Amino acid sequence: MSFIDFVEGPLYYVAATIFVFGALWRVIGIIRIGRKKDISPPKGSAALGFFKGNLRHFFPRGIFARRTWLHIVGGYGFHLGLFGVLLFAAPHVAFISDRITGFSWPTLPRWGFIITAEIAFLGLIVLWVRRFSDPVMRLISDWDDHIGTWLTFLAMLSGCFALGESSVFLRATHMLLIDIWLIYFPFGRLMHAFTFFLSRGNTGATYGRKGMNL
Amino acid sequence: MKQPLTTGRLSNTTWFARVATLMLLCALALVFATSAALANSHVRPPGDAVNVIADDGAPNTLGDRSDAEIWDDFRGGDPKDLLAPRPEGTVMTTTGQQWRVIRERFIVKYAGWFPVGVIGILALFFVVKGRMPIKGGRSGKTVPRFTLIHRIAHWTTAGVFMILGLSGLIILLGRPVILPLFGHEVNSTLTSASLQGHNLFGPLFIVCLIWMFVKFIRGNLFQLVDLKWILKLGGLFGGHVSSSQFNFGEKSWFWLLMIVGAVMSVTGLALEFPWFTEDLRWLQLSTILHGVGAITLICVSIGHIYMGTIGVEGAIDSMLIGEVDENWAKEHHDLWYEEVTGKSAKDDGNEEGAVT
Repeated sequence: MSFIDFVEGPLYYVAATIFVFGALWRVIGIIRIGRKKDISPPKGSAALGFFKGNLRHFFPRGIFARRTWLHIVGGYGFHLGLFGVLLFAAPHVAFISDRITGFSWPTLPRWGFIITAEIAFLGLIVLWVRRFSDPVMRLISDWDDHIGTWLTFLAMLSGCFALGESSVFLRATHMLLIDIWLIYFPFGRLMHAFTFFLSRGNTGATYGRKGMNL
Repeated sequence: MKQPLTTGRLSNTTWFARVATLMLLCALALVFATSAALANSHVRPPGDAVNVIADDGAPNTLGDRSDAEIWDDFRGGDPKDLLAPRPEGTVMTTTGQQWRVIRERFIVKYAGWFPVGVIGILALFFVVKGRMPIKGGRSGKTVPRFTLIHRIAHWTTAGVFMILGLSGLIILLGRPVILPLFGHEVNSTLTSASLQGHNLFGPLFIVCLIWMFVKFIRGNLFQLVDLKWILKLGGLFGGHVSSSQFNFGEKSWFWLLMIVGAVMSVTGLALEFPWFTEDLRWLQLSTILHGVGAITLICVSIGHIYMGTIGVEGAIDSMLIGEVDENWAKEHHDLWYEEVTGKSAKDDGNEEGAVT
């Protein structure tokens, strides 16, 4: 079995299994913790607060937005760019269609894909640079944050290197990094991709039940 | 060198014709380069032969001209002027050959030695002079120097620059350096990866360059005080040199980055989108300017990195935490220190100073 066969075959399926079951285990674990029973009479809807809390956090408030505009722009740029590349790049759609879904969907043109990737890269670099340039961010960041960022960056960069589609080694390197990323994902803060709605929802539900206007 | 020519914008036939023409020109150029010595030994007509000039003026019916001379009839253009237009009636230019010679014999051959040389000089300088300490040591009090946005703009640009620099060096020097050491497989893989990375990150450098210009232009305009810095060679051989927020060396680095960076951006775009011009000479000129500009920026950036990290104690603080020690500020940027604090920089009697 060649290296490319290994990373696209057995290792990929193991990594994907760890990713799916690990992420499910984490999310279910958080949900199972539950919330402390609130015996005060409700003044509003906790369920509505859950949804409003999730939506409201997409739009930071006035002065907070002004002070952290670069973080917001970088964050949106990176995440939207990453989703764009992940879900609409032709090689990714072909891979997902072939290995997972069995069907495909429209893909970005090459120029659109390149611009999307550039936005994602710039956003990620800005976010990481802020992490060590801002004294507060540096203080609250640990190895997990840096490992998650660098794994994501290297996975993206190796994908960029393989864009020529002329080298099996480059494609295999990209797949290897994706496999490592999938395995690491459930055990670190990369899990925020699946847990952010729970934390935002919890805050929203608490305030919603108290009748606060989010 | 940048984007492959298979863009889909032009028909396959057109591209094929262009590629075929380019290959033909390259092959002919190669022939010229290697056949000069052979040309003189070609068969000559007998001494009593008469060269009959036909009515239409077609020369050389008796073959009294060498192959090189015949080809010269077909070739036009000023070999010393890359941008000289091709004279009417000629079917090929000398510019391609000139471009190849400049690129292969000068840029590719020597480019890699410049960064190595700069690193060697700095290493020697460090061994001899050591790290430049803060005179009087750290005071424990700091002065804000760069905002968070300044620092993010700087490090983002630095990150993109590093990726472009490394990938660019691999593209430029892969054949003379990597190929003999590691073989074709490694060279082709690294070059392919570098090419894709270079093309993708190139446009980001333009964004970063504009960002840097906007954030750092203030304080980087040349002043009269810079003349003193020049006359004292930045305090390299001792003596205090007054400086505002940025000294002459830093200002020069800023403007070099902006001007050469702009040239790099324009030539990079020309190479990444070659269909914007029909004239091959612009692309030839772009590769030369891009290569020379890249080596220039890489060499100076190595010096910048040295001065900002191990070369000068306390300098890295300004870009890591945004604040510098008061003694460092008094020593290296006394005029700026007095401006932002309202205090005299000579309070503690620091007399010695040097460049940052």
